[in-house]
Amino acid sequence: MNSDQVLLHGLDQALLALMIIVIMFGMGAGLTVDDFRTVARRWRLVAIGFASQFGFMPLIAFTLATLLNLPPAYAIALVLVGTLPGGSTSNMFTYFARGSVALSISMTTASTLAALIMMPILLQIYTPGFAREIAVYDADGMAHEFVIPTVNIVVSLLLVLVPVAGGMTLRRFSRGWAKSAEDTAGFMAMIVIIFLVASTLIRHFPQVIGTDIKVYAAAITLGMFGFLIGYVGARIFGASPIHQRAISLETGIQNGPIAFAIILLSFSDVALQNQMLWMAILYSMFIVITASIFTLWLRRHGQRDWAITENTLVHRRLFGEEYVTQYPAGIVPKRIEHNLTQE
Amino acid sequence: MASSRSLSLTRWAPFTSVTAPWRFLINICHGKSIVETFTDMKPILNARNLAQLYRLCAEHYGELPAFATRQTATNWQPISFRELYERGKQIAAGLAQIGVRQGDPVGLISDNRVEWMLAEVGIQLAGAVNTPRGTDVIDDEWGYIFEHAEIEVAFVEGPKELQRLKRLRVQWPNLREVIQLDTRKGVEEGVHTLDQLAELGASALKTNPQCIQEREQSVSGDDLFTLIYTSGTTGKPKGVMLTHENILSQIKNVPLELSCTDRVLSILPIWHVFERMFEVFTMSYGVCTYYTSLRTLGQDLQNVEPTFMGSAPRLWESLHHRIMQGIGQAHPVRRALFHIAYRLSSWYQHSWTVLRNETLEPPPRSLIVRLAWKMVHSGRICLILPLYGFFNAAVLENVRLKAGGCLKATISGGGALPMAIDQFYRKIGIHVLEGYGLTETSPVLAVRIQSKEVAGTVGPIIPETELRIVHLETDEILYSSSQSALSQEIGLRGEIQVRGPQIMRGYYKEHGLTREVLSEDGWFRTGDIGMVTWNGCLRILGRCKSTIVLSNGENIEPEPIEARLRQCAHIENLALMGQDCKHLYALVVPDLEQFQQDGREVKTREELITDPEVHQTIFREIREMQHHPSDSGKHPSIRAIRLIAEPFTPGEELTNLFKLKRHVVAQKYDDVLQSLYAAEEPDSSRSRGHR
Repeated sequence: MNSDQVLLHGLDQALLALMIIVIMFGMGAGLTVDDFRTVARRWRLVAIGFASQFGFMPLIAFTLATLLNLPPAYAIALVLVGTLPGGSTSNMFTYFARGSVALSISMTTASTLAALIMMPILLQIYTPGFAREIAVYDADGMAHEFVIPTVNIVVSLLLVLVPVAGGMTLRRFSRGWAKSAEDTAGFMAMIVIIFLVASTLIRHFPQVIGTDIKVYAAAITLGMFGFLIGYVGARIFGASPIHQRAISLETGIQNGPIAFAIILLSFSDVALQNQMLWMAILYSMFIVITASIFTLWLRRHGQRDWAITENTLVHRRLFGEEYVTQYPAGIVPKRIEHNLTQE
Repeated sequence: MASSRSLSLTRWAPFTSVTAPWRFLINICHGKSIVETFTDMKPILNARNLAQLYRLCAEHYGELPAFATRQTATNWQPISFRELYERGKQIAAGLAQIGVRQGDPVGLISDNRVEWMLAEVGIQLAGAVNTPRGTDVIDDEWGYIFEHAEIEVAFVEGPKELQRLKRLRVQWPNLREVIQLDTRKGVEEGVHTLDQLAELGASALKTNPQCIQEREQSVSGDDLFTLIYTSGTTGKPKGVMLTHENILSQIKNVPLELSCTDRVLSILPIWHVFERMFEVFTMSYGVCTYYTSLRTLGQDLQNVEPTFMGSAPRLWESLHHRIMQGIGQAHPVRRALFHIAYRLSSWYQHSWTVLRNETLEPPPRSLIVRLAWKMVHSGRICLILPLYGFFNAAVLENVRLKAGGCLKATISGGGALPMAIDQFYRKIGIHVLEGYGLTETSPVLAVRIQSKEVAGTVGPIIPETELRIVHLETDEILYSSSQSALSQEIGLRGEIQVRGPQIMRGYYKEHGLTREVLSEDGWFRTGDIGMVTWNGCLRILGRCKSTIVLSNGENIEPEPIEARLRQCAHIENLALMGQDCKHLYALVVPDLEQFQQDGREVKTREELITDPEVHQTIFREIREMQHHPSDSGKHPSIRAIRLIAEPFTPGEELTNLFKLKRHVVAQKYDDVLQSLYAAEEPDSSRSRGHR
């Protein structure tokens, strides 16, 4: 095997593996058992999110791959990214977008568990068409039809959940360390993504330049369509603005590290793995940028709603639960009137 | 020394308006104002007097809370705009019943409490003049104020103040009626409670419902709304006369916008002019003010989640201290992350100040160098942005949460904000808009605005206000914002003089004193030295008036103290220092001959000042002199001294009449003073006096 062909060398791979463990550990450190319980309480909203995450997102990925006529490995990677559960990154963006962080956490929790079942099923539905286009040669030089390694994927998912459980355990025993683990994970993710992009750019420049523009288009727009469909969908289903935001961001922002883990652990063919990894790296890089811009937009757009809601909440906290804040006419927009009186 | 550097603004102007690539960046990152108002403010901003303003607020904001008082951490008592006005109206009618006429000064000795506000509204609706002071007022001053203002009716806070009042009462033949605000511990015979007064008023309103409205109609903008007596340790308190127009002009001109969804946490003494103005300002925007105290501040920040705060430097120092303490105790990993975040943020913010032309010092003159410099900083921003973005979100946001997490901006006034503290807040992402003003200017003259947040300055002068910088010795006008020929003479230092609708009418019954500071054509001499920076902001550099204002607001006239201490045998000369500090300090020139006579073998002062024994001798002498029984004992004691080797000479540190030029001394010995302040007041690592 020529080492030049490998997208990620030993060091990179080790780094990536470390990053996956640290990030998943950090994600676990942010969760408590209570978060699982609250999923049941807001099942309606979680269900909307679920439909959006596992219904729309893979469909968007599939449609994009088909319409753009992506090379099969990239197409599979795109669908794989589309079927991923949400991660802790979306919680942070939701916080800054002034959405419901609680719902974001619930959705992350629910989708991570559901992914064990949903991912294999969804991959079976959307990828066989692309897989058929790939010819794999075994050691004897015989061509085989490529089959999506479903069992491997489930195993990888289970492996990824081990550090999550580890993080949750840490949280039980030391909040200080758990908080540090959370922050470190985010920091680590940033550094590793930047490092991977830089090292790939330097070492595989011709390959990168040679990558079809359509691949970039797919990597950038997948998340953006996710935000849009999530937002519109939640609105149609009647979720309130803060929930619309959480669902929208949760739909668009996927748990990138899980994609890396699955690709590294389940796909053995080097060429295939390279292309899939590149797609996952591109997605992970661009989603941070698009999510930041989208978050800034949501933040500005929702400033007034947020100011009113927050003020009302503080009044209730300080003046008693029964206190009703009576704003002058024309201050409270219709869309949040309902929220102020209910929750 | 006065004209150190002159720069022409026109030379910079074309460049600042050029459409550069970083304009785009600026628009993305700093596009919209931080605060927005949802309501039509016109009718309120056009009120003719405070009585009308209070009525309009009640009509406009109705049941929204105007003020809230803390009972326990999460149990606060609100009072709505309507309630405040209705109760205020009854109190006003009550005041009229007990004989308060329009224009009468009414005393109000109390600390922050909601009844203070009720009394204030009552006094304004009755067309009277609020004459307030805090309960920390010393007997001498209280006696003087009530006597000087010929107070007939007074509010006092509680039984303690009532006892003091009874003791002092002999001095005030005019005092007729007393109202006690806090009645939880009972009331004495002959003293009204606020409720009784309101009842009295309520019945009066039944017979003549229009009596209060009539008073509102007849109060004009020129009439006084308050008499604020400034505190002074040595000099007599001076009653600053402020009119309705003074304060209402502030509401129009202070460049801030709030909305009725904002929450303001308040900690300044309520009678302080900055707080008074801010109170009226927040009321007119429908904002609720929550009263807190230094003791409960940490908790209250968390529970109230204020969106805005206006306070004195002391609060910002205290909060800074609290935050740093929290970080010191944090988990080691988190502490390390904070330091990385802080470092990144200071690079990031610094690059922005360069791009936004917000540096204190002017940029290099060469256009090419400047362009290159800006490109470098644009590049640095782009490089840092992803990392900064992450750290800002994950780490600095947690720090901001210690201040409630909702602060859009804050104002600091009532003293110089130490540069280090200023920078700290900027780096963690809390806007501190430093302002400048005096009681006599009700108070805001200049304040930093969002588009001009130049650290180290107090921002541009506010609308409708004229500024001029006058040479300290020749009285020549160096800079004038209203004269086009002089409006470009920036960078020259001199006395700050101002003219505008916020300037007081004068000192009550002190025509002579008024004439000293207020010219015929309306120019007010602030007694502060300042200059206009290249980007059009006002920078305060020190004081030319001798009065030293300590950080607790105490005014000290240093000259009598100096005159007295100069009598010490081992002191040749000395200068008191401590503007904006917690304590008073002295720079002392030791008397060489005296020490030689004592038998000390020294030839020069340089040798003398390094001897710790000399330092001790002099400090002991000062102590003894200050604690001498013949001394009135009211002078604050000197905290520490530094010896200097060069005697003060006429033409240099002294005028030809041997009067001390304090600002010259402060400037010359700036490094000595800074090290002295740093050693004595380490928690407030400030650069003061001569900023």
